[in-house]
Amino acid sequence: MIPGWEATPGRLYVLATAIPLVVTLLLALAGMLRGWVRPLRARGGVAQTLYWVLGGDVPLRAGAYLAVAGMTLTALLSLLGLTLFLTQTATADSAGGCWAERIDWVRVGPMVAPGDALGTENVAAALPALALQVGYRIDALTAVLFAMVAVVSLCIFVFALGYMDEETQAVVEDHEAQHQYHRHTPVRRRGRFGRFYLFLSLFCFAMLHLLIADNLFQIFVSWELVGVCSFWLIGFYQERPSASQAANKAFIMNRVGDAGFLIGIAIAWSHLGTLNLDEIFRRLRGAEGGAGEIRRVQVLSTSEAGLEYVVVTGNDWPAQHVLLHPLTEQKREVFRDATESATANLHDYTVMPYWLWLVMGLGIFLGCVGKSAQWPLHTWLPDAMEGPTPVSALIHAATMVAAGVYLVGRCFPLFAPEVFLTIAYVGAITAFLAATIALVQTDIKRILAYSTCSQLGLMFLALGLGGWTAGLLHLVTHAFFKALLFLGAGSVIHACGHVQDITRLGGLYRKMPITALTMLVGVLAIAGFPFLSGWYSKERILSQVMGLGLYQPEHILLWLLPLLTTIMTSYYMFRLWLTVFTGPPRDKQLHDQVHESPAVMTVPLLVLAVLSGAGAWGWPLWEVEASWLGQVLEKAQPAMVREFAAITERGHQYHTWTGIVALACTLVGAAAAYLWFGRTPVTAEQLQVRTLVGRFLWQKWYFDEAYEAIWVRPTVRLASGIAAADKRSTTVEAGIAAHPPSPDRSEETTAEEATPPRFDWGTLDGWLNSLGDAAASGGAAVQQWQSGRLRLYVLTLALTVVVLLAMLVVLAG
Amino acid sequence: MGEMGYYAVLLLGAWLFVCGVTCLALKRNALGVLMGVELVLNAANVNLVAAARYTPAFRLEGQIFALLVIVLAAAEAAVALAIMLHYYNTYATVDVDKAQQLRG
Repeated sequence: MIPGWEATPGRLYVLATAIPLVVTLLLALAGMLRGWVRPLRARGGVAQTLYWVLGGDVPLRAGAYLAVAGMTLTALLSLLGLTLFLTQTATADSAGGCWAERIDWVRVGPMVAPGDALGTENVAAALPALALQVGYRIDALTAVLFAMVAVVSLCIFVFALGYMDEETQAVVEDHEAQHQYHRHTPVRRRGRFGRFYLFLSLFCFAMLHLLIADNLFQIFVSWELVGVCSFWLIGFYQERPSASQAANKAFIMNRVGDAGFLIGIAIAWSHLGTLNLDEIFRRLRGAEGGAGEIRRVQVLSTSEAGLEYVVVTGNDWPAQHVLLHPLTEQKREVFRDATESATANLHDYTVMPYWLWLVMGLGIFLGCVGKSAQWPLHTWLPDAMEGPTPVSALIHAATMVAAGVYLVGRCFPLFAPEVFLTIAYVGAITAFLAATIALVQTDIKRILAYSTCSQLGLMFLALGLGGWTAGLLHLVTHAFFKALLFLGAGSVIHACGHVQDITRLGGLYRKMPITALTMLVGVLAIAGFPFLSGWYSKERILSQVMGLGLYQPEHILLWLLPLLTTIMTSYYMFRLWLTVFTGPPRDKQLHDQVHESPAVMTVPLLVLAVLSGAGAWGWPLWEVEASWLGQVLEKAQPAMVREFAAITERGHQYHTWTGIVALACTLVGAAAAYLWFGRTPVTAEQLQVRTLVGRFLWQKWYFDEAYEAIWVRPTVRLASGIAAADKRSTTVEAGIAAHPPSPDRSEETTAEEATPPRFDWGTLDGWLNSLGDAAASGGAAVQQWQSGRLRLYVLTLALTVVVLLAMLVVLAG
Repeated sequence: MGEMGYYAVLLLGAWLFVCGVTCLALKRNALGVLMGVELVLNAANVNLVAAARYTPAFRLEGQIFALLVIVLAAAEAAVALAIMLHYYNTYATVDVDKAQQLRG
């Protein structure tokens, strides 16, 4: 089926990744063809047939079925790949077994002869070439996340068949959008079913490609693809001003992060000379699989041959450089013996400044902050709720925000200790901040959005504290239950005719029991109730946090905030569920129309509920460490995690106590929610916030307002100022409006009178214009010679010849 | 005849050339201009033939080039007369001073 299948089973993943891309291209091609033949459809013949085959005026459902079929295939392949990978690497000796291949994509420099093997010493020495490589690398982390993304996406694809039903109509009326000219008529447009699935497929392709990529270059490409797909999907209802603004906001916020990412990549390229992740780790941490320690060195002298003498210092000494190991496998491992302050002759080694290494890590992390909506770039995620609910589910669970956590996990060995501390603090702050905001929100999707922010913060916190498995396990389990929660919310919204405000919902349990029960599973999982998937990952994170609390209690925020977050998570999730599904209906009229969603929407909910419940089970069930997913992920754990052993081991030591504390926190939150929202009916007024703190949280800590004042408004003002300096037409128009040109006056006088002194007139524009004027007048002068009089030309010619001859005679003597 | 004859013939050529150029520069009638061109070409021919007659090295080449110039002059006259005819059809004149449309 696939060439070279036996030798390279990883190509299975390449195939699985390519399927959504093929679907995207097919859908795009169909849409373009339809657009081309549309003007010709009245003539009949082939054009008309083609037009009707492609759906005609009504959006075609076949495109969606194609996308779902493609995603099904991808999901099946990913599960097959996961099974194969686990069976193959279980028998292999190497713990970090992986399937990888790569080829040169762009190469500058001499080519390698076909017979030569890359990596042998003489070839490598004779190759001062730069090569941009593409390749894939499948390890346990990729395999698990790939399967997660594919399965969750498949559920969302199927769910959207029901949820986006109205997009299959020939004419959709969008009542939330304003018509461009007639402000009170709703926008009428063609349904965009095919376009929706096109973007969804592209989104999935970008995320899957990001997972299998083995180098920062490919990761960056799909990183941007993910970004632009989120832009298209958040702004899917493009006629709504709020949607297009939210799309812009998401895109621009991500640009801030991506600038950092790009800086990180540039540093890696210029100082490490490679973008391949394995090679980066090997350069930084030595040849033994990138598992060694970072060496900090003091350079004494350098020569043309390379680094001659360095003082190797211990890691606790603040030396200014980081030692970079050679990529070729040299047997001269000088550092096996050299311990402290030894002088060594290092021909093949180079160094990079320590601060650049820091900046590289921080830059890559900044990219992750933007993509995963962490403080201080978190504001786009709640606004991204403007997109259709399946998109929210996709962004929040499987694709976009997962990319940031994944990248931190993937680049784990290249971060400096300071970067890890930053990651932990950013995570802890985001977790707390988002949880507090979620306490008071009343939009069902916004509550979920802030809970996503908060949970992602916990993941970053865990990663920053060295809980690699904990953070990434939480990523997987969170994807299951967050997709479940969002699809449940989507089911409610769909049933209630696009009402998202929980102050208008209520008592829906009897009307839609499947949605209610599956969402309850999600709520219990995210709150961290035992034996649901969320429990296994959250326990690990909190164990890591408690380990830090015991090891370095001075980082008070890092262990206090997660515990508070746990309480709040449990509280606001139960508040959401109790308000929506229990109690009396708050909007009687709305309540009467509600009915359970069709099977195409409830089946994905049930699948995800099973995954949220049992996705992380292992035997014995009550042992967190026995979790099946956790054990698989541990295989991919980079060896340098041992640098955090002090934290991890303390966490293990007090595991039982951590479990009790975590459970207590969860129960406190749940009990508080039950006392306030479960026992007595709560009216819509009681859900509104009144206190000062409540207002503060309702306004999301005034982050949007602060950013507006600090960044947006000065930028807009600066831009409009600059635009005013260069705006010729408006000043002239204003002048004409002030002095309407009378027919007897010439044009020049009008412009002369009307133009006020402009800033750019004396500066750049003035200089450039004078240059242009000089050229023009010079041309006019020369133009006079071209009189068109033949006789004059002949005369000039003859006289010139005479003058030339005379010169010849005089000069030749 | 000796050297004197050579110079006399060259002088004749130069005189013809000057006549031709003067005709080119002063005539407004296009046919007159064409005649001037013929004069210039024939001045060159006189020089070529003189060289063939008096200079041993140019015995053959002088005559061949003179023949070439005659053929060339015929071709040139054909093309130029065609242009002139066309010009006359369009503007109803053969005054070269009126042909100024391509001036810069």
